[in-house]
Amino acid sequence: MNILIAARLAFARILATKTRSGLTMLGIIIGVMALIALVSVAQGATSGIQDQFKGLGARNLTITGTTNQSITVDDVIEIAREPGVDIVSETVSGRATISSNQASTRAQVIGVDSDYKTVVDPDIFVGSFLPNVENTKDARLIVLSSSLASDLELDAYSINSTIAVGSTEFTVVGILDDADGFGSRGSAYIPLDTAFKYVAVPPYLSSITVQTINEEIVPEVTANLTSLLKARHNISGEREADFVIVDASQLLDAIGTVQQFLSLLLGGIASISLVVGGIGIMNIMLVSVRERTREIGIRRAIGAQQSQILTQFLIEAIVLSLVGGIIGVIIGEIVAYFLAQLGEWNFALSPTMILASLGFSMFIGVVFGVWPARTASKLKPVEALRFE
Amino acid sequence: MAAVVEMSNVTKTYGEGSSIVKALDGVDIRIKKGEFVAIVGASGSGKSTMMNLIGCLDRPTTGVVKVAGEDLSELNDKKLTSLRNYAIGFVFQSFFLLPKTDALDNVATPLFYRGVPAKEARFRAMEMLTKLGMEDRYSHQSTELSGGQQQRVAIARALVTEPSLILADEPTGALDSKTGKQVMDLFADLNDEGKTIVLITHDLDVAKRATRRITLKDGKVINDERDKK
Repeated sequence: MNILIAARLAFARILATKTRSGLTMLGIIIGVMALIALVSVAQGATSGIQDQFKGLGARNLTITGTTNQSITVDDVIEIAREPGVDIVSETVSGRATISSNQASTRAQVIGVDSDYKTVVDPDIFVGSFLPNVENTKDARLIVLSSSLASDLELDAYSINSTIAVGSTEFTVVGILDDADGFGSRGSAYIPLDTAFKYVAVPPYLSSITVQTINEEIVPEVTANLTSLLKARHNISGEREADFVIVDASQLLDAIGTVQQFLSLLLGGIASISLVVGGIGIMNIMLVSVRERTREIGIRRAIGAQQSQILTQFLIEAIVLSLVGGIIGVIIGEIVAYFLAQLGEWNFALSPTMILASLGFSMFIGVVFGVWPARTASKLKPVEALRFE
Repeated sequence: MAAVVEMSNVTKTYGEGSSIVKALDGVDIRIKKGEFVAIVGASGSGKSTMMNLIGCLDRPTTGVVKVAGEDLSELNDKKLTSLRNYAIGFVFQSFFLLPKTDALDNVATPLFYRGVPAKEARFRAMEMLTKLGMEDRYSHQSTELSGGQQQRVAIARALVTEPSLILADEPTGALDSKTGKQVMDLFADLNDEGKTIVLITHDLDVAKRATRRITLKDGKVINDERDKK
């Protein structure tokens, strides 16, 4: 029998039994909706982070010491001489008790040089980042992350007020916008030389951020810097290096992996409900086969082959699951859109995801439609015709 | 003339052991092309079994049933189905039109199953509906048709495949006497055109419209009479 005719018949049946078909499709609708919405959450949430990292500079790579005494200011001088290196910025860090008039807390204090602003480009909530103080030996200026500022019960009007790091007084020049600064929660920034005086021991650094002249050169510079630092730190052969070089692409890869994992996890959970929906289809198709035994008998009598009966019922199951899938995609995308508004990430229709969902619901229709369809095709014409 | 149906020493039993039922017991008949035969008998006489065998819906337990020259016992399900499609035009007591399907597609369905392209099948179905005066009802579903109209659609469905024989099981059983008479007139006309018709009935008045009556009792043929020409 012509597949088009079978499909038309299937649609006619769905329309004729709206309530039953609707309830049957509900399982698939909810399954596909959950699949689309959850995967979009996984992708939306992580792509926001990815975008931040892209903004952070694909030209940057960061060298971090694995101990407190791995990398030094002398390393910085040598690194700056390497070909392909544009700007080098160094930081040190230590922990200290910071106190305002209202509150006091332990926090990470990061000493940064004048290039840090150029390389990392932190977002300022109020005030400004540290000014260039290279010629001043003891510039007691401090910039707070907004979470630290709120811990200290400071607000936008606290600029130019005085807080204490340990027992030394600093003037607040700016508060950062944490939402955009990854990993800068609960930190305070002070000039590098000042930091060496109060919270860190020269000449050891905690990290060096290198900006290369362009993106393409990053792997090459990474390799060169690795061998340079290994030579300077007398590390040879199998011995593990006392520093780690990370570039933005590695971080992006890592986030990509997290995204994939999240998508698979949430998608997998949603798929379970799709399978449950498939069982609903199988159940109702079995009922339908029983109810339509007479019809099957008539069809067999007037010349329907077993394979043609099988096809007819299989197509009905597929039409049920596919129509459910289409409705599920539409609702799922609407839900994903509103979740994106709520979570403030970009909403994007993913054709791959839509096609995959529809393909999956069709597959469910086939898998769970086969048994009822086989049952229908195996009915004996004589008995089916007699069935009341 | 060639026999459309040939039954030699046919038995058909149902069940096993002590509950065994002999529905047909040594039946020998030949139905030739162009005959109008009524198979008559009370309920339990073996009529339905005869209908299932002639209609290629079942196979005999022993003996040989040949329909359009094919021995049913030698055919697998696929070939038997094919034989039904090509050789038999079924007309049932309660019409048995397909649900959710309009009259046109009901008539065209046996052609769909045969693989005739949809357009051609519907064209031929429309021709047949026109022949039976049902052309203005082609888009109606069975629930929108009267009993007599449903039976006409069913007869159109039986005729559209140009079968070797029309097999009608109590075709007037669900109709009032006036409509029943019209349907029987239609069968008589079709027989005059040369169509072979086999009627299964318990109604002697209906059986009288046929030109040959085979009477069954307890699975045996007890009478076989032809009208004199």
